[in-house]
Amino acid sequence: MGDVMELKRTVEPPDQDATDRVLFVRTSDMEIVSWDRRRIAEALVRETYLDRDTADKVAEAVDRVIHRSRIEVLTAPLIRELVDAQLIQMGLEAARRMHTRLGMPLFDVEELLVQPNRENANVPHGPEATNLTLAENIKKEYALLAVFSQDVADAHMRGDLHLHDLGFIDRPYCSGQSLEYLKRFGLNLPNSLANAKPARHPEVLLAHMVKFSAALQSNFAGAIGWDAVNLFFAPYLEGMSDRDVKQLAQMLIFEYSQQAVARGGQAIFSDINLYWEVPRHFQDVPAIGPGGGYTGKTYGEYEKEAQRFVWLMFDVYADGDASGRPFFFPKPLVHITEKFFETEGHERFLRHICEVAADKGNTYFVFDRGDTAKISECCRLSFKLEKSDLEDAKQPWRMRYSALQNVTMNLPRVAYRAGGDDTRLFQGLTEMLELATRAHLEKKAFIERLLSQGDRGPLSLLTMNRDGQPYLRMHRVSYLLGMVGLNEMVKIHTGQELHESDEAFRFGLKIIAHMKLVADKLSRHHNMHFVLEQTPAESTAYRFARLDLKYYSPAAGHAVRGDMSRGEVYYTNSTQLHVGSPTNPVDRVRLEGLFHPLIEAGAITHVWLGEERPDPDSLANFVVKVFRNTHNDQIAFSPEFTTCVACERTSRGMSETCPHCGSDEVEGITRITGYFTKVSSWNKGKIGELHERRRTAGFFTPPSPPETASA
Amino acid sequence: MTLFTKVGCEKCDYVKQHVNLSAVGVRVEELGPDNPDALAHLAWHGLVTVAERSLPILVLDDSRYLTGAIRIRRYLQEIGS
Repeated sequence: MGDVMELKRTVEPPDQDATDRVLFVRTSDMEIVSWDRRRIAEALVRETYLDRDTADKVAEAVDRVIHRSRIEVLTAPLIRELVDAQLIQMGLEAARRMHTRLGMPLFDVEELLVQPNRENANVPHGPEATNLTLAENIKKEYALLAVFSQDVADAHMRGDLHLHDLGFIDRPYCSGQSLEYLKRFGLNLPNSLANAKPARHPEVLLAHMVKFSAALQSNFAGAIGWDAVNLFFAPYLEGMSDRDVKQLAQMLIFEYSQQAVARGGQAIFSDINLYWEVPRHFQDVPAIGPGGGYTGKTYGEYEKEAQRFVWLMFDVYADGDASGRPFFFPKPLVHITEKFFETEGHERFLRHICEVAADKGNTYFVFDRGDTAKISECCRLSFKLEKSDLEDAKQPWRMRYSALQNVTMNLPRVAYRAGGDDTRLFQGLTEMLELATRAHLEKKAFIERLLSQGDRGPLSLLTMNRDGQPYLRMHRVSYLLGMVGLNEMVKIHTGQELHESDEAFRFGLKIIAHMKLVADKLSRHHNMHFVLEQTPAESTAYRFARLDLKYYSPAAGHAVRGDMSRGEVYYTNSTQLHVGSPTNPVDRVRLEGLFHPLIEAGAITHVWLGEERPDPDSLANFVVKVFRNTHNDQIAFSPEFTTCVACERTSRGMSETCPHCGSDEVEGITRITGYFTKVSSWNKGKIGELHERRRTAGFFTPPSPPETASA
Repeated sequence: MTLFTKVGCEKCDYVKQHVNLSAVGVRVEELGPDNPDALAHLAWHGLVTVAERSLPILVLDDSRYLTGAIRIRRYLQEIGS
């Protein structure tokens, strides 16, 4: 029964029998038609497996209820509820489930249209955002009823695990790709009104890249990452002046920062992978240039152009926007490799990107040690390139990697249930991983169902085939197993937090080692690639904490972090040490890095600078030591800012009033999990975490030389 | 000292066959799908990526490590003599 129907009664003379009344229905086609209970039966036969006779009986019963009622205006939702109630009375639960209407109460819609949504700090408030939320709510309900089995859905609802992006159930999670795809094939999107040949000019290539990012963002739930951006632009930059190349860099960064056209009116969640050197796997690859043809050179010969572009990009990042604020997107991920240190100019470049890290905080340092190569995106997600991928590097347009779904486990809950017993703890972990695997299988089946419709289906962009393979290469997707609250899990089970003793820390390593081995087993069993990931957990850490306080108090009251009186509660993100632990940055990076080799899909350590403006040379020195002496996958330095709405100036540190003009119309800005955003958009859990972050407080700033007494 | 090995590793077997490990105070930890303790211990020493390329690995008491079956054999035989 898809039509909106409104049942209107005619005005009845007082002596008229009820059976003489004529009932009318206002349909969604803007017609008024006579009430006909056969429509109920038709809907039941169409939507459920009920036979016609049973459907007629249900319709008759509901018809009697309606005619006896004193309801003035009947709506389609109410009629559907009456039908569902009748189905329950008749013991027809399966039919009732299939007949369920999805949607939101009027009150909730009112609240939504008026109050901001805090689940995703990247989504501004506005009509597009509320459209997104309304659609997401329906898709979430659909996912939990029709995609996932009841066990899995209930586990999510209880908070045992979290199925990410339920509101995007009809999409894969995130995607990493190469500009070579656009350079070779041009911009040709399904349902597009115009196709474009491969770009001849860098500005056009940029336009293709941005538009394709927006199109991809409407087909994926998460981040869109681009590999080796400065290198693949390089063939287009020959002969351009520095001024023009910097202009291009500005255009790229502003285009991504200001595009308010992605999901819900937010900016495109975008990552660009950058290299100072030419990565070994691209060194001898023939370069594609303007017009999509080969230039006759290999990428190894474009090193200088690539370096010029990335240098100037960081000049733009250093300037910030018109108010001096850091750019929120695209996130620049600089890969530090062995070859980086062998490449001329690397020290100057390292200082340059550390100046930006110190001043604006933008730079992400991704460490590719040994033979490792990665495409990184999102807050920390990365795709480690296997040998077969390095074969694909000879045709870089093939290098497309995606994660299909992320399922995150509530680790503290496993500990509450284990009650201090190791066997129960590890058994609980295994069971939770098996349940998460089932969720992945169910999501995979649903996505494959959509993909099977090919270019006429809802995922036509992902099925387009220009190079002999669909754009979404299902044989190379990863299935993410995330985790929240390892620190609290260890505390509940052992009595100590990760940083409080070697025994506690090593127990944490054992938990993650166990999870990795189970994930590997499940991968072999299902012939799918299950990998551990440090979930960004922007809202999940808050959600899990709230639910555990509800269901696992008083134990949860001792484990959950934050300020319970204000509801600003959270669990520590993934495998990280608690944000407030008295661990200096060197030890934090080293210790957290011991987990990273076990977490194949990516990890990050945050260094919270607060208002400290560190010496770039100190940061550069630190970065080199992290690469050489630790196993840490990725680090980012996060300063804090206050930006003033009144005078439009930005200052260091967070304050309640503008230090320049004194206005209290200010916004705090810092990194939430993996991207910069305004603190006013954060959920309560992240606010609680922000209050407890331990800043570096002068760690990277060399002490001033003592003053000498005057003669 | 700890010797990290795994099932089916011929170089690991070579060391075990040529050295009386218990006599020189070496504990063997066999990496495998059902041994999270061994993997966690390997991670504690920061050797997960090393083990992906090369086994066996001998971790000394001061946390330095050796790879290469012959090098490990020679080292342990020197200690034992």
